[in-house]
Order: sequence, then structure tokens, then C-alpha cells
Amino acid sequence: MQELINAVSLGCIYMLFAMGMSLVWGTLDVLNFAHGSIFMFSAFSGFYLMQETGNSLPLAALLLVGVVVGALMSVLAYQLVLRPILRRAKDKDSAERQILIGGIGLAGIPVAIVQIQTLSNPFSFRAGSFEVASYDFLGARISNIQIVIWVVGVLLGTAVVLWLRRSRSGLALRSIGVDSEVASLMGIDQGRLGVAAMAVAGGMAGLSGALLCVSFGALTAESGDVLLLKAFAIIILGGVGSMLGTIIGAFFLAGAETLLIANTSGTWVDAVSFGLLFLVLLVRPQGILGRQEVRRT
Amino acid sequence: MSAWYDAHLILVQATFISFLVALSIQFPMRMGVFSFAGVANYALGAYTAAIVVVRSDEIVSPVVSVGAGVLVAVVVSLILALIVRRLRGLYLAMATISVSLIVQVIAFNGGELTGGASGMFGVISDLTIGSVIVVCVVAAGILTWTERGTLGRRIDAVRDDPELAVSMGINVNRYRLVAFVGSGVFGSLAGGLEVLLRSTISPVNVGFSLVVTALTIIIVGGYRSWVGAAIGAVIVTWLPFYLQAMERYQQVIYGLFVVVAAIFVPGGLLGIADQARRRLVRRQLEHEDQEAAAEQDAGGAAVVDAVGASRKEEAR
Amino acid sequence: MTQHTVPPTVAEPASALVLDARDVAIHFGGVKAVDGVTMEIAEGKIFGLLGPNGSGKSTILAGITRLVPLKSGSLTFDGRPYDDVPTFKLARWGMARTFQTVRLLGDLTVEQNILLGADVGRSSGVSRRAAATERKECVADVIDRTGLAKFVKWTPSELSYGVQRRVEIARAIVMQPRLLLLDEPVAGMTKSEKLEIAALLSDLRAQGLTQLLVEHDVQMMVDTCDHLYAMNFGKLIGEGVPADVVKTPAVQEAYMGKGWRADA
Repeated sequence: MQELINAVSLGCIYMLFAMGMSLVWGTLDVLNFAHGSIFMFSAFSGFYLMQETGNSLPLAALLLVGVVVGALMSVLAYQLVLRPILRRAKDKDSAERQILIGGIGLAGIPVAIVQIQTLSNPFSFRAGSFEVASYDFLGARISNIQIVIWVVGVLLGTAVVLWLRRSRSGLALRSIGVDSEVASLMGIDQGRLGVAAMAVAGGMAGLSGALLCVSFGALTAESGDVLLLKAFAIIILGGVGSMLGTIIGAFFLAGAETLLIANTSGTWVDAVSFGLLFLVLLVRPQGILGRQEVRRT
Repeated sequence: MSAWYDAHLILVQATFISFLVALSIQFPMRMGVFSFAGVANYALGAYTAAIVVVRSDEIVSPVVSVGAGVLVAVVVSLILALIVRRLRGLYLAMATISVSLIVQVIAFNGGELTGGASGMFGVISDLTIGSVIVVCVVAAGILTWTERGTLGRRIDAVRDDPELAVSMGINVNRYRLVAFVGSGVFGSLAGGLEVLLRSTISPVNVGFSLVVTALTIIIVGGYRSWVGAAIGAVIVTWLPFYLQAMERYQQVIYGLFVVVAAIFVPGGLLGIADQARRRLVRRQLEHEDQEAAAEQDAGGAAVVDAVGASRKEEAR
Repeated sequence: MTQHTVPPTVAEPASALVLDARDVAIHFGGVKAVDGVTMEIAEGKIFGLLGPNGSGKSTILAGITRLVPLKSGSLTFDGRPYDDVPTFKLARWGMARTFQTVRLLGDLTVEQNILLGADVGRSSGVSRRAAATERKECVADVIDRTGLAKFVKWTPSELSYGVQRRVEIARAIVMQPRLLLLDEPVAGMTKSEKLEIAALLSDLRAQGLTQLLVEHDVQMMVDTCDHLYAMNFGKLIGEGVPADVVKTPAVQEAYMGKGWRADA
């Protein structure tokens, strides 16, 4: 039971992170490699602010800082780096490659800054500004922070799915993912929608960063890189462009990892996602819910 | 010279090793295989060489210890190539990054064999920088051969248009296999030689930052020739040394380099040089073209003149 | 099956068919792009394949060159079945092609692009040096015949579209193929450029090169081809002497739309 609670909490965080990444990948054709360092840097910003203000930030403020910093970084990355690359690339293959290379370079910058600032030590939101309380829940312990994570996860997860399925802007965004040329012919402003999607994705990454930092106690500068690959595994598992697949993938991975931690020393935990990623790529490259691409000549 | 050399030995070593690391990613890239397995190969080469040296009672020749690393890396590369043969582009890149990180996790969890988180120490050998330079020169020689003539053209075709390449009778799958094996050789050579020079290795050395460094070298120098990797290796190794202020922010500046290059100069410094050369050739061709046209005009004019002259004569 | 894939033997094929595509079907998911097409390409002639956009012309070329797998049917080249032979081997057997879009390597010069075709290793039993000399002569000859001598040092992006397409054809010809497949070689060309290409193809036929020409231009097909296939919706709708085929109601309706008359 305790494992289940932990797995769901972890799954919610993975979901928030991976959904944003899946959103921009599925619609804008951008695999934002900096998504992981945005996640990490947003949490670090909260930590930094906390130090400057003498530990007087409430939880809500930390989460807000995470969202704002994440959204801002994501939009900047899109406008200053990813979009110019997309615009200048000569074909789709080289665009894909340049986007990945540019993203890796971009990802390195916040990581290096935080490494310098923390001397490569883990950083954490010091206790005191918010209280961690635990409650009995069906024979297991659940903390107030885990409850926050569950609530935020369910609300945001549903909101994003509804936004994409129901709202005009969500539909427009999805149409870009299907065929960007036709979408622009139909008068869809890709620039503004792209910025909106990147802001949502970055905000969710920042939020998940702050939440993970609170619930796990600490993050390091490199946490984002590992999470990025986990999210990639999640998205591949679920199928690129499928939000439902991403959600299932997130909880699946969280469950597998939690089981491993519960039964072993836990040092192999990162190998789970990489192994999983490998397996899915080999067996079913289009993912569980993905569609096979139809080729036309 | 000698004093300078002694003072800068570490940097000289680092330049050649970085060159090899960069080749382990650049070589497959030239064949259109976007793989980061080079970093995994570096780790395999380094750890295998270190284990061979530390575990044996006698002094092991570098040829044996580094050779063992190369062998392991090549075998792993071949297996990897078979497993990921259906993957392309982005998917291949991400899968190979995860392979590199799995190798890092294994190094962390290797217990006594790999020394866990603190890594391995006391990897002593009589390897000299001279041998490293010889390895690099041989590598450059082989790569020069692959960049010219028939083979060079075929590799260009395999990278830029695989479908065209097979229609031209090129066995693209075999080239892709060679790409993986080459990455295994270069990466494990870099790792093996480095661990013998520095005598230590730990999981921190084989992580994601190595991917970024290797990528920076290739992107700054240019991905289409080993010359680009050489230029990039020199710049990335020596620039932080000459700009002391940079040392602390080295990784930040690498990141910026990569970003700027990815947006504005995808071909790297070598690409810029190539473009300039093309422009020169083009100007020359256009010039020749104009001259030829002018000659034709002149010829035409002469005919007109002649006709005119004959008419005049007729008029008389 | 596999014993048939043994490389060239001396045995001449019983029929003079260079390519025999029998009941070829190619499906993408549920889409029947090609549905039971039979084509018999005889030696030394120009065959034409006519059909509107999306009729399956390019797909059948991809099937013939083994770039996409067949759903059913069989393929025979020079008497040798090749249903499980990879594309690159076919090129070495002597099957050359051009693509619907210009597929030149942008970083290479015109000369280097053409040399790429000459590099195809076709074992002819001569010494390496002799082969190299022969190759050089062949390249020079093809460059001359396609009128590209002036452009050898240029890169594709510096050339006009018509010239780019000529380079493509030159690259296929230097492979010294047994069968040349041309996927819309004159699309987007001016009238005079088209005539030049048509003359080049006829010239090649005179030298015995078998060709399969996929095109839109009805006039050119009638003028150039010896035998015409017409396709629509993945099926053959006509076959025979080009001038007759384009006059059949099925072809006129499918290809030109109702109300068009070939004899108008």
C-alpha cells in the first residue's frame, strides 16, 4: 500500500514533466532537450530565492516560482534558439538533428550554472517554511505534500487533456501536429500557439521540479538530464503525440521504479527507464497507443 | 620548447584525447548515424583497460590493456548495431544516449570490479604521449582515405540520401555497421589511452558532460571531416586555458557555443571555410562564363562587320 | 527462392524480357496503392507508364526497385527472380533509376554527383586499371552527350532546374544500366528542354538501352515510347501502341478527364 502511494506520487510528477514534453514534441515537432534543465533550474530558482529571503517562502510561493521560471525559460528557449533553428534548417532531417544538438547545448547552460553555484552538491528546500505532516491512509502514511502532488497532478493532467480535446486553441495546436502547412493555410497563428504550448510545457516542468524537490528532499544539477531520458522513455512507451499514452507510461515507469526501490538497494533504479526505453524502441517503436505512420509517395 | 612542453603536457594530452572522443561521435555522424554510443565506448575502453592493468600482477603493455578495451567496445558496438538497426535519427540518438547512461549506472554499481562511485585508481603504465600522437595520426590517415574519391562520395550519399545511395548500388546497412564499429574503436581508444595517462577513472568522467564536450568539439569544428574534429579539439581544450576567466564558466560557454553554432553555422568552422572556398570557385566560374560569352559576342560582332563590309562592297 | 539470387550466370534468359513484373500488389496499411499490375519490359525498347497523380506510378517503381515490399506478385530481372534481393544489389545487376524529385547531393559538384553513378561496382572481369580508364571515358562521354560539360565544377544549387534534372539522368546513365527507370524526368521543363531529353532517350534506345518512362506529358509519351501502359487507381486500364492507348475511352476519362479528345 505504501508503495502504491509513493508510486502514484512519483507517477504524477513524471506525468506533469512528460506531458509538457510530449505536448511540444507532438505538435511543434520539437524534442526540447533543455526540458530537463528547465525542470531543474526552476526548482533551483525556488531554492535560491529561499536562501535570499531567509527561508520565509510558503510552499505555494515555491511552486509559483517554479511555474513562472519554467514557463519563461521554455518560451525563451523556443523564441531564441529552437524557432530560429526550425526556420533556417534546409530539410526535416537536418532540422531534427539541429534541434537536438541546439537543445543539448542549451541544456548544458543551466546545469553548469547550478553546478558552479552549488559546487555540484545537492540542493533542497530547507524545512521550516512549510510543515510536512503525515496522515494515516488505509494503513499507510501519506504526507500533505503527497496530497498536494496528487491534487495538482489530477487537476493539471485533466486540464491539459481537456484543453487539447475541447478548446479551439487546443484543436488548432493539434492540427499543427498533424500538418503544419495546412494548419497555417487555415489561418492558424503557429507562432502564438507555439509560444503558448512552450509556456504550458515549461510551467509544468517547473512545477514538477519544485514538487519533486519538496517531496524527495533534494535535487542535483544533473537531475534534469536523467529525468529527460525517463520522460523520453515514457513518451516512446505511450506513443508520440498521445497524451493518454504519456499518462499511462508515466505511471507505469513510476510503478516499476518504486517496486525496484522497495525490493533492492535502489542504485539500479535509473537503469529501469533506459532498459525500458530500449525495449520499447525495439519491440514497438510506435508505442502502445501510437499509430503507425502511413507512407505516401 | 621543452619547458613549455612540460608546463602544458596535460593540455597537449587532453587535446589528442578529445580529438579521439570527438571522432567516436563524428565518424558515425558522417555516415548519417546519429549515435552517442561513443561515450559508452569511451567508458568501456577506459574501464576495461583499467581493470586489466589493476588486476594483473605483472606490468601490462598498453597495447594489451588498451587493445582489450577496444575489443570489448567493438563487440558491444556490433551487438548494439544489430539491436538498433531499425532506429533512425532522433530515436537512435536518444537510444544511444541511454546506452551511455546505462554504462555509467553499471560503472556505479560494479562494486569491487569498477570501484563503484569513487572509481579506480593507480592505473599505472608506461604509455607515453608519443604513442597517443601516433594513434591520432594513424586515425587521421585512415579517415583521410575515407573522405576522398569513391569512398568519400559514397559516404556522402549514405549520409545525405540513403534511398538514393541504395539505388546507386551502395550497401547502406554495411556502412551503418562500420559506423558503429568505428565509433567503438575511436571511443575505446580515447578511454583506454586517457585512463593510462591519468591513472584514474570514475563514473563522473563517463557521464553526460562528455556527450556535451564531444558534441561541442564537432559542432564548433565541423562534422564533415576529421579536420573539423581536430580544429574543435584544439579550440575546446586551449581556449579555456588562455581565457582564464573562462575556466569557471567553461561548460556554460561550451553550451553557448553549441547553441550559436546550431542556429547559425551548422557546418562549423570547417563549413564556413568550405563555403568561402565555394564562393571563390563560383566567382571564377562565372568569370569564365562571362569571358566565353564576351568572346562569342566579339565573334558575332566580327561576322556582322564582315557582312557589313561585303554589303559595302556590293554597294560600290 | 534463395537459390535464384546467385549472381549473373552465362545462361541467357529464355525470353528477351528485361523486366517481368507479374501481378504486383503493394498495399500501405489498407490503401491498395498498386493492385495486381503486370508489366513485361522487353529488351531495347522504351516503355511508358502513364497515369494521373496518385494512380500508383511512383509506387510501382518503388516496388520494382525493392524500396517498398510487395504484398503479392513476383519480379524477374533478366530471367532472375529478385523478390528477396536488396535494392543495392539490383543497382549492381544493372537497374538504374531517377527520382521524381531532384535527388542530387548538394555538397558535391556536378562531376562528383555523376561519378557516384560510375562508382557502382559492376564486375565485368577486367582489371581494376582498365575498368578505371573505361569508367573515365564513359563519364566524359555521358557528360558530353547530356551537354553538361560547362557545369562540371558547379554545385547543384547553382544550376537551373532543367540542368539539375539532366545531371540526374546523366548519373543514371553512367551506371551503364541494362534497364533505366525514369520517374517523370521532364516534369517542370520547358518545351525545348523536353525535346532535348526525348532526343537523348531515343538516342540511348538506339544504343540498345531498355527504358521505362513514367510521365505525365501525353504528347511526349506518344512520340517517345514504343509501348505504353496506362494506370489508374492502382490498376492497369490500358496497354499497347501509345497512340492507340491514349485514345481509348478509359484512358481519356481517367487521365485527361471527360470531354478530352486525343484526335482534337
